[in-house]
Amino acid sequence: MLHGILTLLLFQFIGECISKFFELKIPGAIIGMVLLLLFLVIKKGSFHALDSSVFWLLRYLPLFIIPAAAGIITQVETISNELFAILASLIFGTFLALAFSAKLMDSLISRKEKR
Amino acid sequence: MNIDALIAYVTSTPLTWIIITISAYKIGVLIYEKNGKHALLQPIVIAYIIMLPILIVAQIPYKQYFESVSILHFFLGPATVALALPLYKNLKLIQAYFFPILITLFAGGVFTILSALGILWLFDASKITMLSMTTKSVTAPITLITAQDIGAIPSLAMGFVVITGLLGALFGTFVFKLLNIKHDAAKGFALGLISHAVGTARAFEISENAAAFAALAMGLVGVFIAVLLPIVIGLL
Repeated sequence: MLHGILTLLLFQFIGECISKFFELKIPGAIIGMVLLLLFLVIKKGSFHALDSSVFWLLRYLPLFIIPAAAGIITQVETISNELFAILASLIFGTFLALAFSAKLMDSLISRKEKR
Repeated sequence: MNIDALIAYVTSTPLTWIIITISAYKIGVLIYEKNGKHALLQPIVIAYIIMLPILIVAQIPYKQYFESVSILHFFLGPATVALALPLYKNLKLIQAYFFPILITLFAGGVFTILSALGILWLFDASKITMLSMTTKSVTAPITLITAQDIGAIPSLAMGFVVITGLLGALFGTFVFKLLNIKHDAAKGFALGLISHAVGTARAFEISENAAAFAALAMGLVGVFIAVLLPIVIGLL
C-alpha cells in the first residue's frame, strides 16, 4: 500500500513540477494522471500496492471533496442573485447535452455496425 | 475540573471539525447503502445537508473550517492521479468503437459547456458564474483542481457539478426512451460524459457494459476539459 501511495504522490509531484517549469496552464495533478496512464500502458499492467491505494482513495473520494465543497456557504449571494439563470442552465443544459451525446454515439455505433 | 480549558480545546482543535466532517460523510454512506445505493442519494448530497446547517449554526468562518480539515483536502491531488487506473482498465473498450468514442467525446464535451454557457448568457449571468459553470460535467476532484486555475469559484463549480450529476441520473432513462437509444455503450458513455461519477453509478443500474463505458467517458472528458479550458480561457 505504501508503495502505491508513494507512486501516486510521485506522479503528482512530477506533474506539478512540469506544470510550473514549462509554465503550462494545465493543473499538475492532471499531468501526473496522464503520465501514470502512459506508465501503465508502457508497463502493460498495474501492481497490487497501486491497486489497493487507488481503491482506498477513490472509495473515499467524496469525503475529500467536502472541505472545498462546503465553501458554497460563502456563495449564497451569487446563487440567490442568479438563481433562475443557474437553474435554467443546469436543467436544460444537462438535458440537452445528455440527449445530444447519447444520440450522437448511438447513431455512430449503428452506422459502424451496418458496414 | 476546568471547563474553560475544555471549551478552548474543543473549539480550537482541528479534530472537532475532522470528526464532524467524517461523521457527516459516514451517515451519507449509511443512508446510501440502506437504500440500495440509489444514484440520487449520493453520500456527498447527504453530507452537504448535514454539514451546511452545522457550519451556519456554529458561525465558524469558512476559512477556519477549511484549515481545520485541510488534511482531507490534501488527498484530492493523489486521488486525481489515481483516476488513471480505472481509465487504464477501461481503455481497451476504445478499440471496439474508436471513432464513435472520439467524436462523441469532443462534440459532447464541447456541447455540455456551450449549452450551459449559452443559457447563462441569455439570462445575462455574471462572468464568475459562467466560469464556474464550465466544469459542470467534470468529475469532482478534477473540477476543484481546474476551477482554481481558470479563475472560477471552486465551491460554486462543485455545487454545479453535483447538481449536473443528479440531473443526468434523473433524466437518463427518460432521454434514452425518448430518443430510442439502442446501445448500452451509448447510454453509458453519455451518462459518464455529462454526469461523471453519479452518471456512472446510474449506468451500473443499466448494465455492466454501460458502466464500463461511463467510467471511460468520465475519465476521458475530465482530462479533455481540464486541458482544453485553461488553454481556451488563456487565449480570451
